[in-house]
Amino acid sequence: MSGVISTTDVCRYFGDDEETMVKAVDRVSIEIVRGEFATIVGPSGSGKTTLLHLLGGLDNPTSGSVELSGTNIAAMSGAVLSDFRRDHIGFIFQSYNLIPVFSAEENIEYIMLLQGVEASERKRRVTDMLQQVGLEGLGDRRPNKLSGGQQQRVAVARAMVSHPEIILADEPTANLDSKTGIALLDLMKELNENHNMTFVFSTHDEKIMNRASRLIHLHDGEVDLDERK
Amino acid sequence: MLLLKLAYRNIFRQRRRSLLTALSLAGGYILCVFSFSLSEGSYSNAISFFILDHTGHIQIHLDDYRLRPKIHKTIDDPQGLSELLDANEEIESHTLRVFAPAIAYSEKDNSPAQVIGVALERERSTSTLAAKITAGEYIDNALDAEGYYSAMIGAGIANSLNIGLGDELILISQGADGSIANDIFIVKAIVGNRASPDRTTVFLPLTAAQEFLSMYGSVHEVSILLKDDGEARVQAAVLQDQLPELTVDPWQIVESTFYQSMQADKQGNNFFMGFIVFIVFVGVLNTVLMSVLERTREFGVLKAIGSRPLKIALMITLETGLLASLSLVAGILVSLPLIAWFTFLGIELAEPMDVGGIMMSHLTGELSLFVFGMPLLFIIGFALLISIPAGLRAARISPTEAMRSN
Repeated sequence: MSGVISTTDVCRYFGDDEETMVKAVDRVSIEIVRGEFATIVGPSGSGKTTLLHLLGGLDNPTSGSVELSGTNIAAMSGAVLSDFRRDHIGFIFQSYNLIPVFSAEENIEYIMLLQGVEASERKRRVTDMLQQVGLEGLGDRRPNKLSGGQQQRVAVARAMVSHPEIILADEPTANLDSKTGIALLDLMKELNENHNMTFVFSTHDEKIMNRASRLIHLHDGEVDLDERK
Repeated sequence: MLLLKLAYRNIFRQRRRSLLTALSLAGGYILCVFSFSLSEGSYSNAISFFILDHTGHIQIHLDDYRLRPKIHKTIDDPQGLSELLDANEEIESHTLRVFAPAIAYSEKDNSPAQVIGVALERERSTSTLAAKITAGEYIDNALDAEGYYSAMIGAGIANSLNIGLGDELILISQGADGSIANDIFIVKAIVGNRASPDRTTVFLPLTAAQEFLSMYGSVHEVSILLKDDGEARVQAAVLQDQLPELTVDPWQIVESTFYQSMQADKQGNNFFMGFIVFIVFVGVLNTVLMSVLERTREFGVLKAIGSRPLKIALMITLETGLLASLSLVAGILVSLPLIAWFTFLGIELAEPMDVGGIMMSHLTGELSLFVFGMPLLFIIGFALLISIPAGLRAARISPTEAMRSN
């Protein structure tokens, strides 16, 4: 199995003063391989979200490197980093973060517009994704006309539609009720298995942990335990 | 297209705020258009009045006659000059004039007078002299049965000398050859009123004036009316090249005091308009910045999923430009009929105003591309300009920090 993303001694410290400095992520070296359904777990403040942001190039590490398909994204910035995220990484956020003035279809379509995908292909992929996430017939609804679960499904479709190499999901079920959360996880697991899509979650939701193929335990910014099931 | 859709929908997210901003933009535009129309209309009327009254678009003299008039500073081949001007397709018409100070006598009184000899038919098609006649009729070149030429006199002279239509007028002046010029003329018309600039003027047929002043076919001034008002400077330069021995001036030079005052007044008006637009745009800037602040999290997400910083800045610019454009469309729809009414009907003055002997009863504006286009470009330009800092702010947002905000 080939590595999709890896970190080498990656650190993210906040603050300059030695005494008050917060080591959110400290010397973390991990490798995520293609098709993994990996989960970063740990108590609040353990650095899960910060590590996920570093993996996704949303934040710059204080030191160390983050490589996605052999490219050190920690050294990128500006438009180059934006383009790289657009083409290689899909994001799913805890609070869905859909564009409120766009319909579900348009939210999914937007990233392809950034990629310069042709209109007919965009339409085809949007229809396909809506079907895959079980939202046929709801494409013209705006986020405020969708339930939390439906919004998160749109977010999943948005993350997947550009065919990224990895999908990073930050506590995707935290705002969902148990039943909806399970349904969403099953959907993502199915997509993972059917499309060999790589997922990395940050969570302390046991439902995700139970379905994960790998658990990376973080404690005070350091990897405590890295177990594969 | 999707970006445009996003910009359009974002405008209507805060309908009330967008509406208020649009109202202030449209209001500012209407105010600017009305002010420009009034300013351009007033000056255009004033320019038309004095251009048609006597100045013309271009004047030709010998040397510095315009500044230091002397009777001997004459254009000696007016016939040849007329032929050249008649052949010029840019020229609507032209007229020939001679000037001389004189003393006018009646049987009982005398008065200083300004004698102007005019080429009667050319003058009729070049200036409003014929329209300024308040009594009698436009004269001709013919001598009467007793061998006298006709004259048109200002109402001031008629009053001072206590003479009227059909009466004799005696003029005494100095001829170009140094002789004493004196002759009798018959009053055939009264020009203007006692307050008109022409009140002390005596208009004579050109040939009569040339004979009276011993000028033997020469003239002091050629006044030219162009087909296009805006071409005075260009055509003056063209004619100057063709007539190097003469001095050719556009009306902006001939009426330099008026022109400079007008320019200064327009600049003051522009400053005032700029101030109004500035106040409007403080409100617009506030709206745009508020909009960016409220959507910090959204911009963070857009950046996270791959929107380039420049694209986000462009989105803000697009939103501001779209809001300004919609406001301007509304502004044009309101101001167009208003300015049309103002231009074609105008505001009736409480008391009619005498402008160069012509009574002006209405204050009118101007309906032109400049009046509508200048404020439009200014407002669109300013709107795009103020969207830059807000756009840069949005573009610089850190996705991680933005998504932590509410």
